[in-house]
Amino acid sequence: MLPSSLNNVSAKTDPGETKPLTILIWIIAGFGAYWFLPWFALEYGLFDATIEEYLASLGWKTRTLTLTVPVFLALFIPIAWSNIPQKRLGWVYTLYTSAGIGLIFFDFIHTQNSMGFSAAVVVMALAAIFAIGISKIGFQRGDSFISGAVVFVIFMVLVFIFYPVTKIFYQVLVSRDGSFAPFQFFRIITSFGVDRVVFNTLFLAISVGATTTLFGLIFALYAVRATTRLRYAVRVLYILPIITPPFVVGMSLILLFGRAGLVNDTLMFLFGNSGFFIPAGAEGIFERSGYIYGFTGIFLAQTLSLTPVSYMLLSGMISTVNPSMEEASLTMRASRWLTLRNVTLPLIRPGIANAFLLGMISSAADFGNPLVLGGEYDVLSTEIYFSIAGAQLDFGKASALGLILLFLSLIVFVIQKKWVGQTSYVTVTGIQTAGNVTPLPKGMQRLFTVFISVWLVLVGALYLSIFLGGFVKQWGADYTLTIAHHRELWMHGVSSGGWPSLKNSLGYSFIAAPFTTMIGVLIAYIITRKQFWGRGFIDFGTVLIFAIPGTVIGVAYILAFNTPPVELTGTAIILIITMAIRAMPVGIRGGMSALSQISTSLEEASLLQRAGSLKTIRSVLLPILRPTIISSMAYSFIRSMTTVSAVIFLATAGTNVATTYILSRVESGDTGVAVAYGSVLIFTMLCFTLLVQVFAGRSRIEKQVKTK
Amino acid sequence: MDKTDSIKITLKDVSKHFGAVKALDEINIQFAPGTMTTLLGPSGCGKTTLLRLISGLEIATSGEIWFGGENVTDLSATRRDVGMVFQSYALFPHMTVERNVGYGLGVLKVDPSEITERVQQALKMVNLDGYQKRYPDELSGGQQQRVAVARAMVLKPKVLLFDEPLSNIDSKLRRSMREDIRKLQKSSGITSIYVTHDQAEALAVSDEVIVINEGKIEQQGPPKSLYHLPKTAFVANFIGESNVVDATLEKDGSGKSVIIGDTCIPLPENKKVPADIGPIQISLRPEMVQIKAESSSGTAIEGVISQSAYMGPVIEYSIETKVGNLFTRAPAHHKQYQLNQKVYLHIEPAELIVIPAPA
Ligand SMILES: Nc1ncnc2c1ncn2[C@@H]1O[C@H](COP(=O)(O)OP(=O)(O)O)[C@@H](O)[C@H]1O
Ligand SMILES: [Mg+2]
Repeated sequence: MLPSSLNNVSAKTDPGETKPLTILIWIIAGFGAYWFLPWFALEYGLFDATIEEYLASLGWKTRTLTLTVPVFLALFIPIAWSNIPQKRLGWVYTLYTSAGIGLIFFDFIHTQNSMGFSAAVVVMALAAIFAIGISKIGFQRGDSFISGAVVFVIFMVLVFIFYPVTKIFYQVLVSRDGSFAPFQFFRIITSFGVDRVVFNTLFLAISVGATTTLFGLIFALYAVRATTRLRYAVRVLYILPIITPPFVVGMSLILLFGRAGLVNDTLMFLFGNSGFFIPAGAEGIFERSGYIYGFTGIFLAQTLSLTPVSYMLLSGMISTVNPSMEEASLTMRASRWLTLRNVTLPLIRPGIANAFLLGMISSAADFGNPLVLGGEYDVLSTEIYFSIAGAQLDFGKASALGLILLFLSLIVFVIQKKWVGQTSYVTVTGIQTAGNVTPLPKGMQRLFTVFISVWLVLVGALYLSIFLGGFVKQWGADYTLTIAHHRELWMHGVSSGGWPSLKNSLGYSFIAAPFTTMIGVLIAYIITRKQFWGRGFIDFGTVLIFAIPGTVIGVAYILAFNTPPVELTGTAIILIITMAIRAMPVGIRGGMSALSQISTSLEEASLLQRAGSLKTIRSVLLPILRPTIISSMAYSFIRSMTTVSAVIFLATAGTNVATTYILSRVESGDTGVAVAYGSVLIFTMLCFTLLVQVFAGRSRIEKQVKTK
Repeated sequence: MDKTDSIKITLKDVSKHFGAVKALDEINIQFAPGTMTTLLGPSGCGKTTLLRLISGLEIATSGEIWFGGENVTDLSATRRDVGMVFQSYALFPHMTVERNVGYGLGVLKVDPSEITERVQQALKMVNLDGYQKRYPDELSGGQQQRVAVARAMVLKPKVLLFDEPLSNIDSKLRRSMREDIRKLQKSSGITSIYVTHDQAEALAVSDEVIVINEGKIEQQGPPKSLYHLPKTAFVANFIGESNVVDATLEKDGSGKSVIIGDTCIPLPENKKVPADIGPIQISLRPEMVQIKAESSSGTAIEGVISQSAYMGPVIEYSIETKVGNLFTRAPAHHKQYQLNQKVYLHIEPAELIVIPAPA
């Protein structure tokens, strides 16, 4: 028997129920911001403004609608402490805050001013009270934390996905004088050879998709099924291309195969005009070849950098194949080869389709390699960039091309989701070695060993060339060893050379990674756990986040955040947000696959123990999700450090990041400096990855989590 | 808590639809204070859904749920004061036994020293004192289940819900675990609802059994009455073993009799039967049917042995009759009947279970 004193511990208030005090805290936040922070955006940012500019930007210094803000906020206090029934109070909050947010945006748009920090804080406070309001009405069954999370996610998706994308549509469909011009799109795209660009993009995407799938499959089969030692090398080395900025692979290809690359040099040395072996009368037959520029180069670079992704996906899939099915086939006297063809491969067919489609999307979205290696071979992503870069500033063309790329990518993504279904969220955690797996057929294993050896030698040569490239005077012309490049980058103080951009990259990624992981996991939680009116909106937003190519984000953000009411271009904030959005699929995917393995009854058990949803998430879900969160954060960090496509549109002199700095040095012909920086970046990432591996070792939770 | 604090639970016209699926349809039930009621029914009939509606984890499409005098229909699970034992135990894998059981007390901000003490009491109650520092994966299935029971009871909820708590436990342990649960329930006096699809378990642990079929209540009553007076063929088939055959109720002088095939069985005067004569169904439980080699009276059903199976102490027979294949048992030390042997099935008229024809 339990003591009767237990009677008085039953919950008197709903943990999800908000007290007036919560409202007061939000109001105080809004109030404080209003009095002390700039209501209007400062021309040169918060830290570079003069005191006069700062004062002038405060909301209460002006004589407009903003003066009513404190009154508006203060009115919440009597409402919060009044005796209005909860449901009606909810309606009051909801409508009152909606009106407030609407008025603020209306005022900024109307007066063509840009929002400052305090306006953002006030909007946030109002949005929070709005969430409390709808939860009191009954949204999410009165759970104000979940309501807040949903409102926050919808708000983020609206502002940073939908709004920018509509800006692209606006650019394409509305003519300069502001009238609706539906045919402008066709005029824009027929003004140049768009069909060739689209064809190039698709041809490349399909070739790369098919090749990376095939190679990924070879690697995966080898890593999981081979009996050689080499398989361990595959299991470790696949990480290299993932931590390398994609265009660095392209650069290394130039070092090896470019016009002044090692291969051409060697050929010229042997067969050139003054070479060793010139057959009589054949002088001049051999010339330096630029075959690496164009399709061949981009194809090679993308194949090299995207195969590991396909490998991860497929090896995860292969290691989940139940060995008993294959054993069944073997006991029926089918050979290993027949078993592989008739049992194993059909079982992982969804994974193969998935790898192909993902490879296609990644190829079409890749920007760095076509930029470095493109030559005459135009693809959508670089065409978009060149429409804006330099003095072109043809936003109509960029937007039209961006729309085409977005739709191509959306179509492939939707096919992938429909066709392959939920398996697109298959855990990409690498390999769990199962017990009695069927080894590869002997001949096949020998063939693969040769193939993989050649591959590894090539990759080794590429990375070695990057590393050495940073230490020679002028690759292709003067191979004298020197540390001049590294000296230029790192030895002239921390405010010149490579330091500012490296600091920016590290700093932004460091902020973006936890932020994006948090939101990603939150979205995953909402998608896997919550049903409500309007969830389709979040679903669609998520699809866009997954499918939208970086260059399209870049164009969209320039269009959206260069003008009032939200002016962010040139700030660090926009770069952090861009990195966060680009890395968000990592958190969402990780969160979804982890959450789908945690039985909902754990959360329900916590709810029935009187814990609110916030407490449940904190005490039950987060500890179990910890390994996922750590690895997502690490991966998001790496992606933020290596991303190019979107940030190249948004980085300015003051907010240059490592990748954009390297590309700018490539463009100005300083290959030595560029590869020197590239090798330092790769080395940094490698150390970072190893550190994470060491410190985040397997926790006891991972093996325990019960599946449904 | 005294038993007088036990509350009554009332469901009024409760329905739950999942899109087009009517998981529960206009359910009306009262659970008497302090009792243990079993919800019994085949898989997919809506038992879990009903339990989740009571817990607040799921919200009814329509209808009302009352805990005593309080309408809890709109109350969230967190506020309903309900303890639940899940089929999968749902122990937090990253917490020790002690922290699992003390979780809710921590949420309610009970003093840490008091938590330790109450957790110990709760663990003692389920014979697990001393296991405080273990993690769930270091316990056997039965032990995990008992931790789950301790966790559900430590907060002294108004209602205790068990969702097939023993289905993952091996059959030998199941019997003693169900007795333990019943004992705990009785001593705590908490109104409890126990879901199972195992009729033997239902009959053994409960004060009252509710048979559910396809989202509707088929019959409600104490275990004995469900066994002896099933109102529908479904209940007769689901609880215990039964041969349900079509029959006719006829007027027979001052009394009534039942016609099964071409056998007429007069009923005793005091037997409760439907008022109207006409088609009915009869449930023949194997233990009511006696096989004999010859007919000693005119009230036996004639048949031919079509199958027999030796089961140790008894032999099971299938007998082909005019009203279908009937099955029964006879002690193995008795005389054995051969395949295709003609036999007579004797039935004690007073034991006949008469089921009204479905409307
Ligand atoms: N969340 C849900 N969504 C859709 N259908 C459901 C859901 N939960 C239960 N059902 C359906 O409701 C019916 C009853 O399910 P359940 O209560 O789990 O049955 P039981 O516990 O008796 O096996 C089933 O047909 C099931 O498919
Ligand atoms: Mg169930």
